[in-house]
Amino acid sequence: MLTTLHPLPKLALCLALILASLVVFRLSFQILLFVAATLVLLIDARIPLRRLLLLMVPFALFGFGFFTTSVLFRAESGFAMQMAQEQGGGPDVAPGLVLFFRVLACGMASAVFALTTDPGRFVRALMQHLRLPAPMGFALLQAMHMVPDLRAELLQLRMARAMRLGRPLRRVPVPTEAISLAIPLLAYAIRRATRAALSFEARGLQRDGVRTTLPQPPMTRSDAIVLATGLAALLLTVWISGRLPV
Amino acid sequence: MRGPPVPEALTYQDVALQHDAATAPAVGPVSLHLCVGERVLLMGPSGAGKSTLLHAATGLFPVSIGGARHGEIVLNGRPVDSRRPADWADTCGYLFQDAAQTLAGFTVRDEIAFGPENRGVDPAEIHDFVALSMRRVGIPETWADRRITALSGGERQLVALAALLAQGAPVTLADEPAASLAPMAARRMAELLLAPGCTAMVVEHKPGPILDHVDRCIALGAGGRVMVEVPPRDVVERHGEALAEAGIALPLATRLHTAWPDLIDPRLPLSRALRRVVPAHADRLRAAILPDPIEAGPELVTLDRAACAPPFGPVVLRDVSLTVRAGEVLAILGPNGAGKSTLAGCLAGLVPLKAGTRKGAPGAVAFQNPEAHFSRESVRAEIEGLGHGPEVTGRILADWSLDRVADQHPFTLSQGQKRRLALALIAEAGRWPLLILDEPTAGLDGGTEAALARRIRELAREGRGIAVSTHDMDFALAVADRAVLLDRGGVEFCGSCPDLMRDRARLTRAGLLPPEAAPVLDWLDAAC
Repeated sequence: MLTTLHPLPKLALCLALILASLVVFRLSFQILLFVAATLVLLIDARIPLRRLLLLMVPFALFGFGFFTTSVLFRAESGFAMQMAQEQGGGPDVAPGLVLFFRVLACGMASAVFALTTDPGRFVRALMQHLRLPAPMGFALLQAMHMVPDLRAELLQLRMARAMRLGRPLRRVPVPTEAISLAIPLLAYAIRRATRAALSFEARGLQRDGVRTTLPQPPMTRSDAIVLATGLAALLLTVWISGRLPV
Repeated sequence: MRGPPVPEALTYQDVALQHDAATAPAVGPVSLHLCVGERVLLMGPSGAGKSTLLHAATGLFPVSIGGARHGEIVLNGRPVDSRRPADWADTCGYLFQDAAQTLAGFTVRDEIAFGPENRGVDPAEIHDFVALSMRRVGIPETWADRRITALSGGERQLVALAALLAQGAPVTLADEPAASLAPMAARRMAELLLAPGCTAMVVEHKPGPILDHVDRCIALGAGGRVMVEVPPRDVVERHGEALAEAGIALPLATRLHTAWPDLIDPRLPLSRALRRVVPAHADRLRAAILPDPIEAGPELVTLDRAACAPPFGPVVLRDVSLTVRAGEVLAILGPNGAGKSTLAGCLAGLVPLKAGTRKGAPGAVAFQNPEAHFSRESVRAEIEGLGHGPEVTGRILADWSLDRVADQHPFTLSQGQKRRLALALIAEAGRWPLLILDEPTAGLDGGTEAALARRIRELAREGRGIAVSTHDMDFALAVADRAVLLDRGGVEFCGSCPDLMRDRARLTRAGLLPPEAAPVLDWLDAAC
């Protein structure tokens, strides 16, 4: 269902979730939000559990810093304590644990948007409804094109080097190899961007030109209903977490 | 009686174009024109400045591509400088050499709508523009929501053509539009781009398939000056020798006529011209289209029931069993997206198999993008990096026609020169018994391509095994002993290359066309 939702209401809802996660400093709320976002990704967006777990790794590592200082070593950092006190956190739970789950909750809320939104449709919606300038919008789209192309180019560069050095292709490049590939990859990205810019210009894209846009699916009543339901569920979660001990 | 004068769509008057930091003009001075409703083929060896000339038509050169222009260019009756390059999009549409790097949209529909959107077409009409263009090019409706990044190189080129048609500009400039297309798609491209009444200037290294679709041919010499400007029939009849000498690829009939003026009449279709040839000439004709036989040596690499997938991607070829022997040249053929490049990586041992086994020494791949092979500051430094002495380095530079650009940075070379350098780095290293060349003829002029074909056979004679992945059926026939045809996720044919080229039904099923030399093969069958 989320994949068919208009990107802008969905963005608003996800931003509301992230904002709530930042202002409500309760462990139960962060856990509920994290679980809810994960369930949405698993059930509605049908993201495989393995992929979700991999996606959580960077968020978990980031949050783990707070967790280790405040829970494992029983020495709350001044920063975490200050945040907990400023936002009404109680002394009965380690603030690091709340911060750990906050990172995970924010990460999963962002993932809900990123994994259920067509990037092209999102950029077009920004151009159509929020007046994102067309050259900037198409530059964003071009950057999205470039990610897989850069990966392919990186792979080809690595294969060419492996061949030259007479060794098999490593699955993950060692640091020295990664550093030596940075310049050629950057050069490729610059050349690629130059060619794309030339093509855009030749095909009539300009900053100040009169431009129309391909009609996009409009925002519908169901988009509004999903947005309202999502916000109501958020308020309910805040209320429920307030009733829980932590 | 002469008819009324035809207005000129595009005029170059004493135009010379010089890139920033270059010491001499890339092209010119030249004076040429394109009339309304006229289709012109622009030919020339690699580095003759053909692409630069096209870029200058709307002022992209020197406004957006740094350089200097002398002389005047008039487009649709107005000096090109009177408008910004982007403003000319309503008059002049471009089809660039590398569609993969110039597409704007996220999906096929977005891409085709880009031109009409920029023109300010009524939003309600844009869908019709998109649908019509897709139909004209033969793109299935189901592609509309496909992501551009999920398309193969050839498919992207077709989408670029549809986008060009949707742009609706009356003048078209196309830079090697069919270079990465399978033969059948290339023919469709030529039919659409060069339909009667269109105003188009097309740069093409292989003019053969499009000579019937153009009204006039212009050939630039190596110095970037106009060498020949004639109707297509005169190219064949009167200028074949001069153009071949300048390194421009010519139709097979013309090449045969140039080699044996008494044997082949270039004015006739090849199949009819061959009717007058007596069987005694069979050996000469066979030598003209087929490679000299080389005795195959031991097996170099064997794939057994292999499942091939691009690195970290899904399986695209299953159950592939294949052997390459020393002294053998194998052509890897198939439609766009059939998995030719994936097979190349697996044959070389660079990409691990998903299933099955590979036996044999590692091989080297000359990638489609030649820039992946470059890591030094000059062409000479790249060749010196192979570890040969100065004398051998000089010989390699001369053999691959790179001596004149030896001190240039590899990235500043023309596409053809880059490809020559990449191939030289692979072929002259002497380290690998198996060489795999992925689309080696893309961007090469006729002279360089013929030299490459000779070099491939020499390397095979030295005992290397060579696999050539290509769309160019005539090149495959000229260099390969055996051919493997990939289609529908597997191997459709593996056997003698001439046998495959005779099998029109099989080729057609795979979206390929018989080579230009097919009538000669038929004649040889009948004569021997």
